[in-house]
Amino acid sequence: LPGSVLLLRETVGGGLMATTTSGVYIHVIEDVVSKVREEFINNGGPGESVLSELQGIWETKMMQAGVLSGPIDRSLVQRPTPGGGPLTHDLNVPYEGTEEYETPTAEMLFPPTPLPTPLPGTTDNSSLYNIPTGSSDYNTPGTENGSHASDVKEKPSTYMQPPSPWTNPRLDVNVAYEPERGNSNPQFTHDLYVPPSGKRKRDDSSAQYQNGGYIPQQDGASDAMPKAPLEGNAFGITFVSDRKVPRDVTCSSSNIPQVDGPMPDAYDEMLSTPNIYSYQGPAEDFNEARTPAPNEIQTSTPVAVQNDIIEDDEELLNEDDDDDELDDLESGEDMKTQHLVLAQFDKVTRTKSRWKCNLKDGIMHINDKDILFNKVKYVPPHI
Amino acid sequence: MDTEACRNDFIARSYVMATFELYRRSTIGMCLTETLDEMVQSGTLSPELAIQVLVQFDKSMTEALESQVKTKVTIKGHLHTYRFCDNVWTFILQDAMFKSEDRQENVSQVKIVACDSKLLTQ
Repeated sequence: LPGSVLLLRETVGGGLMATTTSGVYIHVIEDVVSKVREEFINNGGPGESVLSELQGIWETKMMQAGVLSGPIDRSLVQRPTPGGGPLTHDLNVPYEGTEEYETPTAEMLFPPTPLPTPLPGTTDNSSLYNIPTGSSDYNTPGTENGSHASDVKEKPSTYMQPPSPWTNPRLDVNVAYEPERGNSNPQFTHDLYVPPSGKRKRDDSSAQYQNGGYIPQQDGASDAMPKAPLEGNAFGITFVSDRKVPRDVTCSSSNIPQVDGPMPDAYDEMLSTPNIYSYQGPAEDFNEARTPAPNEIQTSTPVAVQNDIIEDDEELLNEDDDDDELDDLESGEDMKTQHLVLAQFDKVTRTKSRWKCNLKDGIMHINDKDILFNKVKYVPPHI
Repeated sequence: MDTEACRNDFIARSYVMATFELYRRSTIGMCLTETLDEMVQSGTLSPELAIQVLVQFDKSMTEALESQVKTKVTIKGHLHTYRFCDNVWTFILQDAMFKSEDRQENVSQVKIVACDSKLLTQ
């Protein structure tokens, strides 16, 4: 297979085992499919064809992400895998996904409210039911921009929620209990269209939905605000110096970004967190808008990202009170390739400032590669 | 006898119920979630069944990492940030070097999320 590394190692039983990351992934896919097959076929399930479709789409996405090398040789994964040699990662084409990894603990346990509000006509059609319970501020006008559905998929976690749409935010997300799983489902399939609140003024925005992919947005008081329509993934932000006047977010994009709800006032924000943000004027361009977008934009005031302008005394939700360092991984890194390690820990100890961590069974995504490991030891540098 | 049987039953049940969802944030997990999103959205799949698939993925992924992967890695770097909340450690390392027996990777910054392995066996 061009560009891939496939090692075949002989196991104790004499069989062959694929020891690449790709091989493990194939094994996982096959295992999942075979174990859910009964649910699909029996008990009034959707059937084998739907299961095959699921597998097909899953594998296709993984090949597109560059972590699965095709064509898939399933003969390798059918064999038992007792032990084996060390794994090497795939030298496939660079990973070009646009995943965003966010700290699961904060967002999953305490989803920020108000919840992220998609711009009108910018529905992430592929995950409407990703909206967690309690949300009442979503506007899903439907298929006005059908072309956006595929675009916004590039940002699977544009909301501050994990991609798992059925996670009850109030559960311990690290330990999911099956009996509770089903209970939180029905709410996501309810009618998710909520008419814009009275706080928004979109009197003239609907007319603009007809303009192909151009979707400017204007929230709040309809003062004459400078617009900065941009193409592609960028959206313009205008900032009004008078803090009593709501800000507007104008967006023109074929890839409608996601912006958050109300944000602390810029002036207050600068007072409370003077070292994090530096205001550099209006109409900043951003390649991507995602929550918590303001925290990651180091050159503009965060409040300018505000989409849903609240003019009354709604409580500011102190979204930025958290330490931004855990959410802000922008220093010098490409926003699209955040290095991330997901694992279990056996032991984490500390002696003064020296930490020792024993991790196991993890997936690393670093330098555009997926690397799996069984054991990891973190050793801090000697001081 | 009875006590033993009860204990075994309790252990078995605990294992079945607990899963780690953190692997859903990986590439394979995200691809699965996107796939399920699309199928539920189109009405091909019910959300309940999609959840079952996700939970099965949690189990399969955990088992695969435990049984099929034998790589050992050492990470060295400057610990910039640490957080421990609800049995989840989150670290941010700077200038980190990942070393395994056959390769080495260097990154300027990496986030590590780790769940308590003991939770699965409770």
